[in-house]
Amino acid sequence: MTTAVIASPSELAIKTDGLTKRFGRQTVVDDLALSVPRGSVFGFLGPNGSGKTTTIRMLLGLAQASAGDISVLGERMPQRLGGVLPRVGALIEGPGFYPFLSGSANLHRLDSADGFAPRGTRSERVAHALDRVGLSHAADKKVRAYSLGMKQRLGIANALLAPRDLIVLDEPTNGLDPQGTREVRSLIRSLADEGTTVFVSSHLLAEIEQMCTHAAVMRAGRLVAQGTLDELRSAGATRVSITTPDVEAATRVLLALGLDPGLPDATGPVAASVAGAASAGQPGTILSAALPEAVAPEDIVAKLVADGVRVRGFSVDHASLEDLFVALTGEGFDVVQ
Amino acid sequence: MSSSDSGATPVRSGLTERRNRRSVGLGFFASELAVLFRRRRTWAMLLALAAVPILIAVAVRISSSGSSGRGPAFIDSITQNGLFVGVAGLTIAIPLFLPLTVGVVSGDSIAGEANTATLRYLLVSPVGRIRLLVVKYLAAAVFCLAATLTLSIAGILIGIALFPVGPVTLLSGDTVSIGDSLVRSLLIALYATVSLLGLSAIGLFISTLTDAPVGAMAATVVLSIVAQVLDSLSQTEWLHPWLFSHYWLNFADLLRQPIEWSSFGQNALLQLGYVFVFGALAYGRFSSKDILS
Amino acid sequence: MPRTWHRWIPAAAAPVVVGAVVLGGVFAASASADPADKTPQQVLELAASSTVDTFSGTIEQSSNLGLPDASGLGGTGSSGSSNDGDLSSALELLTASHTLRVYVDGPTQSRVQILDDMAERDAIRNGDDLWLYDSKDASAVHSTVPADASGSTETPAEALTPAELATKFLDAVDPSTKVTVGDPVKVAGRSAYDLILTPDSSTTLVSRVDIAVDADTGLPLSVDVFAQGSSDPAFHVAFSSLSLDAPSADLFDFTPPSGTDVTEKALPNRADAPADGSAPDAGSHPEPTVTGTGWDTIVELPASGDATLPSDTSMLSQLTTPVEGGHVLQTTLLTVLITDDGRVLAGAVPVDSLLAAAAQ
Repeated sequence: MTTAVIASPSELAIKTDGLTKRFGRQTVVDDLALSVPRGSVFGFLGPNGSGKTTTIRMLLGLAQASAGDISVLGERMPQRLGGVLPRVGALIEGPGFYPFLSGSANLHRLDSADGFAPRGTRSERVAHALDRVGLSHAADKKVRAYSLGMKQRLGIANALLAPRDLIVLDEPTNGLDPQGTREVRSLIRSLADEGTTVFVSSHLLAEIEQMCTHAAVMRAGRLVAQGTLDELRSAGATRVSITTPDVEAATRVLLALGLDPGLPDATGPVAASVAGAASAGQPGTILSAALPEAVAPEDIVAKLVADGVRVRGFSVDHASLEDLFVALTGEGFDVVQ
Repeated sequence: MSSSDSGATPVRSGLTERRNRRSVGLGFFASELAVLFRRRRTWAMLLALAAVPILIAVAVRISSSGSSGRGPAFIDSITQNGLFVGVAGLTIAIPLFLPLTVGVVSGDSIAGEANTATLRYLLVSPVGRIRLLVVKYLAAAVFCLAATLTLSIAGILIGIALFPVGPVTLLSGDTVSIGDSLVRSLLIALYATVSLLGLSAIGLFISTLTDAPVGAMAATVVLSIVAQVLDSLSQTEWLHPWLFSHYWLNFADLLRQPIEWSSFGQNALLQLGYVFVFGALAYGRFSSKDILS
Repeated sequence: MPRTWHRWIPAAAAPVVVGAVVLGGVFAASASADPADKTPQQVLELAASSTVDTFSGTIEQSSNLGLPDASGLGGTGSSGSSNDGDLSSALELLTASHTLRVYVDGPTQSRVQILDDMAERDAIRNGDDLWLYDSKDASAVHSTVPADASGSTETPAEALTPAELATKFLDAVDPSTKVTVGDPVKVAGRSAYDLILTPDSSTTLVSRVDIAVDADTGLPLSVDVFAQGSSDPAFHVAFSSLSLDAPSADLFDFTPPSGTDVTEKALPNRADAPADGSAPDAGSHPEPTVTGTGWDTIVELPASGDATLPSDTSMLSQLTTPVEGGHVLQTTLLTVLITDDGRVLAGAVPVDSLLAAAAQ
């Protein structure tokens, strides 16, 4: 299922190899091989607790890998941390600020922590970053008085303090209203237009689908899929759905053609456990089955008609990413929105 | 959140000239001090420390029935000379109040950043872990100085306000001018500052062990009390010269004529040893700690 | 960012470095050129010929007399009658550890400071003036030294300097004392001969007295008195720093600060302290009788009605154990018997010897 992104190491913003993190006997990240191409908007998907944040912490040198190699922007991490991190902006698992300082003072402090950031342009850069996330009006307000969404924006502003080659955003739309979510999306797009690689983690599929060019899917610490969105989509099975009262006849026809409407499809890469195969036998029931490449949809219709099956509806559906991700990550996957 | 880049152009050009070499960190040190001294908690602690000599002076002034017969003799002598109030305040504050405030600041140093989640952003900036430790420690040391100076100055001011002021009698029975006595007050404040450097290093180390600042603060303060208890037990006499609190009250040597510098030197050496050992421990712990807060 | 145990190297090295600095200081102090060999007699002569009368230094004194710390017995200095105060401060001098600073410029100018916690006791002699100052109760005592009485002006504190103490022992060297020279020692950064006095007596409590005699000047730098059956000195006094430069003249110019209780006091007619290592015996006004010789000397103070040693003070009852005919204060070096009829006998001998002497 994993689709390798073919790219030379220098074209990769992030590359991990065999990346593993264990806490005691529990393996949180297991043998992860991420490849994030430069210039991509890379969605990092997975349910809560699947190891996304731990992976990001290891990428940024906050946590040590138990095993495996990491390279970020072509440099080995965490050995070259000091040279790499100034080129990386990050929002990690929610914003963290001093509540007793204003938004602007918080950014000043974090910028002063970066020994490479030029002091002369600091105020200008802070003002610009605040402007970019729409917080200029609240720059001098204490962060204590910020709403969750404002803090989130401030966190993104922090990632934008300096020109970055890579921006890592962990759940950037957490706590944002729909308007804020849209703004973040357009911000990410504009960053990508400037050539910045954006690595966005989310448990929200819709978010990833709308703004990413690439995605990887984590499940229980393991990488279960990776590639461009199109690659991921095409990896999903195409399904046919037939609405018919003659369920038994239709089932016979489908079976004769090599389609399996009643049971989970064992041949395709994706288990078809979602659409209502269980309701077979009722008048006007929808029969659904994965479509093997060898069978043309029109042949199915012709055969059904030839066998006198009454067809009320017929459709060919390409699997949605949602189907794919549910299939990959199990029923626990949070598919809100 | 304007996606227009019109305003961005000058900034970007200024930004592309990124420094090749990391700055020494004076900017970050200044920022650390600003964060420390912009906190209300810091000011509350300094005010509480300033209240110690003020309360002593007011209490003595109100009761002013002469010798109480308890406590160090020179608490009584503040009625004769207000310049002693600062020293009296330090004497009262050194065993508990000063370690308390220093424990709060040093115990909070790393754990507090972890608790507000700012630690990960500092590290990703990247601040550099060793640099962060050094800056945090120096800021704690500055707080020690601020605390002892606050105490001394508040004491001297309230002493001038409530009591007669004049040439000061030293422990040796010699009398020195007001100017000389102010210099000695400053030296005593410095002595107390140096005395607290070891405890600050211990607090820094404990602070790297946990994400709960309150726990680190409490542990640091408790250790300072334990050290003083051990220092007062004759059963642990072999340990006494190694306890960081051993020379805390020996600042009285600065009130002799001539000044007895040996305790200043011994104290400084001892504190330096603590800074070395616990600085190294803090480095060992923090340099590869997983930041998961 | 080191990944493994490397990061703990500094933490492991730091205590080693600190230890090395501390121990290194000790080694550096012990490693230096030894002075030329001398016979015990030559060292005795060297000490006797010492003419150092101008110096300043710090003295560390500690006692392990098997007595409770008198400072914990309440009322050192600051309490009670002056007589009780005298006794307790004398006891305190003997039983507790002290740091003293001594400034001496010629025979008539000297200053001794006992550095107490948060306090100080000073004894200043400047020409004919003798001042005692105690910062605890801001009191001063002034006396005028009679022109011809230079030998009797010693204060208890002054008696604690290694030179004064050593002189007492050296003056008492007689045929009952075996004198040897040990390996050269370092005291206060100066090389010194280690003169060892061993009593040739089976009845004394003193097993050995070590005196470090400065190789350059003959000035005694330290005195260690060992009790029978102990390898740690029961009484130790030594310079921790010493300068032979003249101290600042300001130091001897003492004017009691305003607010000080100044008492004028005539100098007591004191006898020389016994030469048996019992150290200063402050406040012993009555004329004592001396029996025995050398290390076995017993000093007897007749009952005088003087309240100097009231046997019923709580402090004494805490310190002494009752025996037949009186109370005994037993230390590792010195035994004091207070008979029920008020006599006081003291000596560096076992209690039986005192009882025998008392019975005579």
